[in-house]
Amino acid sequence: MHVLLLLFEKHLDKTVLAIAVALAIVLLSVGDQSQIRTARAITSVLLYPVNRVTGSFASVESLKQENGELREMVVTLYQERERLLQFGEERNRLRKLLDLKADTFHRFLSCEVIERSSSPYVHSIMVDRGASDSVRSGMVVVNYRGLVGRVSQVFPWSSQVLLLNNKAISVSCADRRSRVVGMLEWDRGNYFRLEYVGKEEDVIVGDTLITSGLGLLFPKGFPVGTVFQITDEKGGIAKRVRVASLANMNALEELFIVTGGREWNDTGLLDELEKFQVKRTHSR
Amino acid sequence: MNVARIVFVALVVFVIQVTAIHRIAIAGCTPDLTVILLVALVLERGPVLAVVIGFLLGFLQDLGNASLLGMNALAKSVLAYGVSRVGGGLLPENVLFKGFIVFAGCILNDIIVLPIATSFSVGQMIVSFFRYSLLSALYSALVGVCIFALVELLTRRVVRPGGGY
Repeated sequence: MHVLLLLFEKHLDKTVLAIAVALAIVLLSVGDQSQIRTARAITSVLLYPVNRVTGSFASVESLKQENGELREMVVTLYQERERLLQFGEERNRLRKLLDLKADTFHRFLSCEVIERSSSPYVHSIMVDRGASDSVRSGMVVVNYRGLVGRVSQVFPWSSQVLLLNNKAISVSCADRRSRVVGMLEWDRGNYFRLEYVGKEEDVIVGDTLITSGLGLLFPKGFPVGTVFQITDEKGGIAKRVRVASLANMNALEELFIVTGGREWNDTGLLDELEKFQVKRTHSR
Repeated sequence: MNVARIVFVALVVFVIQVTAIHRIAIAGCTPDLTVILLVALVLERGPVLAVVIGFLLGFLQDLGNASLLGMNALAKSVLAYGVSRVGGGLLPENVLFKGFIVFAGCILNDIIVLPIATSFSVGQMIVSFFRYSLLSALYSALVGVCIFALVELLTRRVVRPGGGY
């Protein structure tokens, strides 16, 4: 006790630093326990109103541009929809003939990015959907171009999404053309490496990678990136495959959380789109 | 400035850092307002309060981000103490010097954070340091110089003798 008092009297700054460092090391070694999760949830709830306010400041120019792009996209999607409906019917008939198990496609929950990690080394974002919207930890997050990440923590009105550009995340991917499977790992920026691809495997520049569904963490079929460079590893038996992600991880705004599956013949979403289009036509 | 006001300013800085600072990012690099605040605190109030505020700000940053809990708390505590040892007795009134201290502080912060964030991957550490740390430190220093100059201008106006500005 006497020694402690002496330390505080004579070397207050060093003692305070030592206590702070010791506490920090203890926190580092604690890991992700329930109390810490609760503390993070409280911080998220407290920051939510500020995030909503700062997130609503968007320039009119960017909104106009985005609106134009979305209109173009709607037209393209309508044409695509007609084509896919025909394919869907044909596909269902063929699957029935082959006696295959009925499969599903995905149901999406739209969300907006309200916060980005201020650390350039751990890439995560906060989105404005949480437990109140039935979001659960582990759900996959995509944007309209491709895979973005996974929900790592869920708070009442927001969720934290760990992006693909983290060392801690590996995604089992398949080449959409040749079905060659490998593990996608982050390299730097928006660039990734496809690991465990043999020298003889059929992967070429320009191929698109999709999630294989083999790792069970990411469902099958989401586009992830495009192969832009292939080199042979010196003296090795594997290829060095470099991949550029389809989603730009530095410019994420509107995203979709994959909340579950829907039947192939479930046309609810398409009907909603139809109603929206009719409403827009009448309002002009 | 009393302690309550310092805590209030620290909380405001934390909220801005976590929620809004990415909107002024250049090439993925953002200024670290917490380092600027810590440098100001060290020069005005000494190392003890700076270490305490540094620890708390770092801890809050860890809670607000997906980073390892304790990583920023450790970095900011050491940074506050380091800045007090290096910059405390030198030219504290010079705005450019304060900017330099912010730059050095950001570099020190990243030297502590990088090994933990990259799980001691040397290649990743080097790439991240040259890709992010240097630019972020420079950006923080520039923002710091502007803030310090503005604060100096405002406080000079307040204390001018003769009653008027």
